[in-house]
Amino acid sequence: MSADNAKISAGKSGDAKHSGSMDSSEWDLVIRRVFDAPRALVFKAWTESTHVAQWWGPKGFANPVCEMDVRTGGAIRIHMRAPDGVVYPMKGVFKEIVAPERLVLVASALDGDGKSMFDVLTTVTFADQRGKTALTLQLRVIKATAQAPQYLKGMQAGWTQSLDRLGDLLAGIRNDGGNHLEGGPA
Amino acid sequence: MNDRLSETFGALADPTRRAILARLASGKASVTELAEPFAMSMPAISKHLKVLERAGLIARGREAQWRPCRLQAGPLQDVAGWVEHYRRFWEESFDRLGDYLQELKREDARNKNLKTKAKESRHVRGQRKN
Repeated sequence: MSADNAKISAGKSGDAKHSGSMDSSEWDLVIRRVFDAPRALVFKAWTESTHVAQWWGPKGFANPVCEMDVRTGGAIRIHMRAPDGVVYPMKGVFKEIVAPERLVLVASALDGDGKSMFDVLTTVTFADQRGKTALTLQLRVIKATAQAPQYLKGMQAGWTQSLDRLGDLLAGIRNDGGNHLEGGPA
Repeated sequence: MNDRLSETFGALADPTRRAILARLASGKASVTELAEPFAMSMPAISKHLKVLERAGLIARGREAQWRPCRLQAGPLQDVAGWVEHYRRFWEESFDRLGDYLQELKREDARNKNLKTKAKESRHVRGQRKN
């Protein structure tokens, strides 16, 4: 976010509306996770499209399209394919990049006509924690149309079904006496 | 434009309005009661209440001058549902990111090993020449 933005709203309530200094109650969702990897590597995994394509989206998702122009104002384009075959396109734009500490982007899910159904301001903070990386994801919904909940529900159905199938598959293998798959549901 | 969810999120983006909703979660209250904990003028509080009312998050009673405010659960549930779906999306992405980072670390270690070995063999060849 630009310094100008911060200046404009700074006088309003005393707190600069810089996305990094926003009060936690101004976010709709905050998720924290510590990754057992150095900060530079975690940042790289977030900012190189070949890497992002490997992990973006829930279990079973693939990303046949994953492009990102990593600079302020640069575009993001990702097509997620759910395990049930449905493709969910999204686009985004980078608002701020401070390697290897911080990323600010606006991510939007697109409907069939390429129109945005919801826009989410996303701030990712990478903090070094003695060789590990504490990652904080802060999300604020800027826009959400009436279709948005339906969209997410559909997406989630697409992946939980596939997890159920995986569960069945693993149960079948276990019944056969095989136990060579790891990571199955306990 | 029927964009109620946006309006709900917009209304929730303000800490004062969140605090008002939290207060109303424990029961009806008058505007004066709602204004009490905040160092704010009545018109400022009224403005916040209007935003909440427009977003369908609160309703105002018609009981004479008292007009108590009460919470409307519907839009809040929509938001909660949305956020829950979104949280699951990210938690699962993070599971995958965690696994993928381990893969990258192993790869890095392998590459370093190869480099060290290459250096060693160069060193050995160098010694042989002498």
